[in-house]
Amino acid sequence: MHYELCIMQQIKGDGFVPRNFLTIALPKGKLLTDSIQLLNKTGLDCLQVDEDSRHLYFDFPEAQTRIIICRPTDIPTYVEYGAADIGFVGKDTLLEENKDVAELLDLKFGYCRFVVAMPEDKVPPLLPNGEYDLSVLNHQRVATKFPRVAHTFFSLSGMQVVTIKLHGNIELAPEVGLAEMIVDIVSTGKTLVQNHLLEVAPILEATTRLIANRVAYRMKYERIHELVESLRTHVNGVA
Amino acid sequence: MQRSYLGLRIPEGMHDLLPEELALQERLEGNILTIFRSWSYQKIVTTSLEFGACVQQDPDGEDQLYKFFDRKGRILALRTEFTTPIARLVSTRLRGQELPLRLCYGEDVFRNSAARHREFRQVGVELVGSREGLADAEVIALAVEAIKSLGLKDFQINLGHMGIFLGLMKEAGIEQDMQAQLEDVLARKDMVGIEILVRESSLSEEWQQLLLRLPHLHGREEMLDEVLSWSGSPQIKAAVEGLRQVYRYLADFGVQDHVALDLGILRGFSYYTGVIFEGYVPGVGFPLVEGGRYDTLYADFGYPLAATGFALNLGSILGQFPPEPLANADVLVYGSDAQAVIRKCQVLRRQGKRVEMALDGLSAREAQELAARKNIPVLQGV
Repeated sequence: MHYELCIMQQIKGDGFVPRNFLTIALPKGKLLTDSIQLLNKTGLDCLQVDEDSRHLYFDFPEAQTRIIICRPTDIPTYVEYGAADIGFVGKDTLLEENKDVAELLDLKFGYCRFVVAMPEDKVPPLLPNGEYDLSVLNHQRVATKFPRVAHTFFSLSGMQVVTIKLHGNIELAPEVGLAEMIVDIVSTGKTLVQNHLLEVAPILEATTRLIANRVAYRMKYERIHELVESLRTHVNGVA
Repeated sequence: MQRSYLGLRIPEGMHDLLPEELALQERLEGNILTIFRSWSYQKIVTTSLEFGACVQQDPDGEDQLYKFFDRKGRILALRTEFTTPIARLVSTRLRGQELPLRLCYGEDVFRNSAARHREFRQVGVELVGSREGLADAEVIALAVEAIKSLGLKDFQINLGHMGIFLGLMKEAGIEQDMQAQLEDVLARKDMVGIEILVRESSLSEEWQQLLLRLPHLHGREEMLDEVLSWSGSPQIKAAVEGLRQVYRYLADFGVQDHVALDLGILRGFSYYTGVIFEGYVPGVGFPLVEGGRYDTLYADFGYPLAATGFALNLGSILGQFPPEPLANADVLVYGSDAQAVIRKCQVLRRQGKRVEMALDGLSAREAQELAARKNIPVLQGV
């Protein structure tokens, strides 16, 4: 079922328009297992969904549901265009992609923090309040997967930095002189230590969020709201 | 001069319309404008370029304006919508006309955004100079008729009211700063943000509950009684009863089946003050129709009038319609004598026929082949 064709079908009158059908976008990778288990608890029998099976989507006709598997950074795009009605996505990705989607619920798993980190031997001087004095970093280069988040953080402190967008192994950048510092997400902090990097400022905390297309959220309100409330119960039950 | 690589391209988000595409847009727009006219709306055109001073809401904020400078260095901007330019026009050249004014438009708007369509056709109406709920009901019913004229049967209008939110803000004694933050999270439909903001506020548990409940009030008329049970504030009561009245009129218009009450549609930092509504079509990820009452915008132009209206984003959905079959010529006229060919063409055209003139002295056989390729039913040799 191609959503794009909905208007075409209405015009031509050959009619199945999936008014109550729900397409859910789940992110590949580390958030997938938790997402599936959480959804399963709401009564959707979906434990067979698996990114290794090479299927890109899974249909559940009785439940009027389709699950699609996407790259995490693409989820806000699928949802913004309405190709998926709702999606599970990290707040980190959500902030970076900055799409026009409704953020419905904090699912509380996949916790991570955005931090600014620098090589241990190059950290800025300490201020009297015990924080690092970031102002000496003005106009320096920041390697990151999240240029938008990095830019916003520094500009709110009245600073300008040059963001260098990388797609992985961010920790390498200071080592080889590509950038003076990095902005990245950390969950345990182990990777930073291994690479002799030190956190010099926290930016914000992120967890997985349930997002919805803003039209789907109004048109399929009952269906989505019911799912939100069910997810909320399970999320809070776990916490 | 040979055009460069860039010279062969068009700016992002701009769209040329080919004959089939334009035929589709003109037919759909024509249908809608015909309906507008039959509801006594007069079509107008405002200028493509306005002064930034007219259309720029917040000079410090980010906006979607394509901006230029005039020769005196003043900022000019392409219109992003019609409500504000029409307010400017009514407050100047139409000042003092008998009210209410019923105006409609069908032109392109320009938005310097990341969207796929940054120039697109918008059709809509403004009903200026009435505070009546009947005026709101009229434009909503008209929006329903406009969507129906596109050939769509499955669509939905969600209807809310800014006054309920604003009344709650006032009664709960919420400060400007907090209200701005709430409007921001509501506009972004950030339910997690709302929850954090409300939970961290110093509001009483009861107010917190109400604010968190507000975006979820959705359904039919009974839902309005719940709102009334929260508060006896005259502002909230007036908003709720106003909304109820509009909703009932919609039953009289015969369009209520398409309308759901939804207090979750709140738009922050907009000019809307009363009833607001959005029209949705399954499979289209953004509202096809946006509208509502804006009773303070005209005062900004020194002509305080109440007004209501809507815009339908026609250009953004054209690509999802089946291609429009093009009308072929009725007759192909050919022959070796150019003078005779011209004369014949002119005679046939005066008879109201669509006539194509063969330009290069075709033989009967070549003409036959051409007519077959172009699907022209009648062949006329001279």
